[in-house]
Amino acid sequence: MGLFFVVLSLMTLLGALGAMLLKNLVHCAIGLVLFFIGIAGFYLLLQAEFIAAVQILIYVGAVATLILFAVMLTENVIGETTLKGLGRNRWAALILSLVVGGVLIKAIGHQTFSAAQVAERVSTREIGRSLLTTYVLPFEVISILLVAAMIGAIVIAMERNKRMGE
Amino acid sequence: METLDQLFVLLKEGILQIAEAFLPSGLLPFVSILVSITAIAIFAPAVMMYLTWLERKVIGRMQNRYGPNRVGKFGLLQPIADGIKMLTKEDIVPAKADRFGHFLAPVAVVVPSLLLFSVLPFGRNMIAADLEIGLLFFLAISSVGTLAIFIGGWGSRNKFSLLGAMRALAQMVSYEVPLVLSIVTVVMMVGSLSTMDIVEAQSGWNGFRWFIFTPWGFFGFLIFFIGSVAEVNRTPFDIPEGESEIVAGFHTEYSGMKFALFYMAEFLGAFAFAALGATLFFGGWQGPFLPSWLWFGLKTFVLVFVIIWLRGTFPRLRVDQLMGYAWKFLLPMALVNILAAGVWYYLSQPLASFASAALLVASYLLLSRLSPTGTRLEKRTYRYAE
Repeated sequence: MGLFFVVLSLMTLLGALGAMLLKNLVHCAIGLVLFFIGIAGFYLLLQAEFIAAVQILIYVGAVATLILFAVMLTENVIGETTLKGLGRNRWAALILSLVVGGVLIKAIGHQTFSAAQVAERVSTREIGRSLLTTYVLPFEVISILLVAAMIGAIVIAMERNKRMGE
Repeated sequence: METLDQLFVLLKEGILQIAEAFLPSGLLPFVSILVSITAIAIFAPAVMMYLTWLERKVIGRMQNRYGPNRVGKFGLLQPIADGIKMLTKEDIVPAKADRFGHFLAPVAVVVPSLLLFSVLPFGRNMIAADLEIGLLFFLAISSVGTLAIFIGGWGSRNKFSLLGAMRALAQMVSYEVPLVLSIVTVVMMVGSLSTMDIVEAQSGWNGFRWFIFTPWGFFGFLIFFIGSVAEVNRTPFDIPEGESEIVAGFHTEYSGMKFALFYMAEFLGAFAFAALGATLFFGGWQGPFLPSWLWFGLKTFVLVFVIIWLRGTFPRLRVDQLMGYAWKFLLPMALVNILAAGVWYYLSQPLASFASAALLVASYLLLSRLSPTGTRLEKRTYRYAE
């Protein structure tokens, strides 16, 4: 188990570093995919098979695909380097990353991780049942939010189509 | 009969017993895993090689010609000759290509399509990894190949490659939705994501209690089959590589073995999806008289044959027709199908089948009438050059 953990950690860190440091946006996206797959591997190590599969399905299958779509809309997509440094956004980026990093460190610091405490293995059936009983309200609220976002996107697209048609 | 049915399982046990004599017992799980992986790693490329042969033969017959018949009896050695040719060909990389992406794509496209085989139940007790989430694993892994195709198309630095890659991405994002929704009905009925459980749930009626014989199973299978043909880029959904428009799409700039790897991923994907269709809707390895793995193989090859048959029959779709068909027809049908499955489950039997069939047929008629441009074909007008 230790060996798997080391290999996965290296892969995940390498992916994360690649996503941040590479000069070409598509290469960054590949790094990000590597990172997502590494995280899925961690879930597998924790015996959370369902979350691992969902991680691959959503993050690698859908989110990474959409990121690549967005990358295709940027300037000189077919160049060696697609990024020209951060430019005037440098200071904003610094402050934002400091804030996010601070919050994350604070949040993780609050948790105590003891090695003796082993999480129970939760089956897919139980996840499904609790989503439709205990957590039914958050589940429905998220569904409504997603439907609203989808309708909004369709309305925006329709208006643009109408304008282009005229 | 029992021995014949469990032939491959017994073979693996025999190998493990031999290994037990030589190796410490701690290593045995790894040997067991290794045996399963080796079986898949040999079986999958062998199947792929002979699928290319089958496809060329069948298409040849449909087009009133012989197909390969020079190398070996009936051209049976043709795939091996092709393999040697592919391996010895020059590997051309465009000067301006993104070397990393260009190299990564063919490798990354084959790995997921091999992984698909690990959760397929090839026969009674014959599965490499009986995961609790087997079906979800299959769907998750099958969506990874798209990214590899995109990276290959982008890395080639070729307009046609990039166009093909974009088409592949858009198509697969669209068709995955009805595909997954059509599978949901099966999961609802079985109450499990394990492929073994799904096959077990279809036992009874002398091994003919398949989900395809229920109204929701029939429509669900049709949606699933159309979605999976689109998912693996086969005709009539092969616009990402439409040679009449964009040369060869995402693999325009690939030659030799790298091209063969793309080809291999396509065939392995087609086989794996046919096998999943047989598992979900045709009772997997259930069936009378014959050994379980033979039943599974027969059902899978019938579905593979239909996929090849489609290629020999239909012309390629247009991009907008393709998208319209997925979003305006298949997706609503898949949603209605879930409702129909619920109706079938909660009503008592003769009424249940009738009600869910009526619901499905009515919504099919309604949707095919209602749908705006895209799915309904308009009368064509031709303008000829003077």
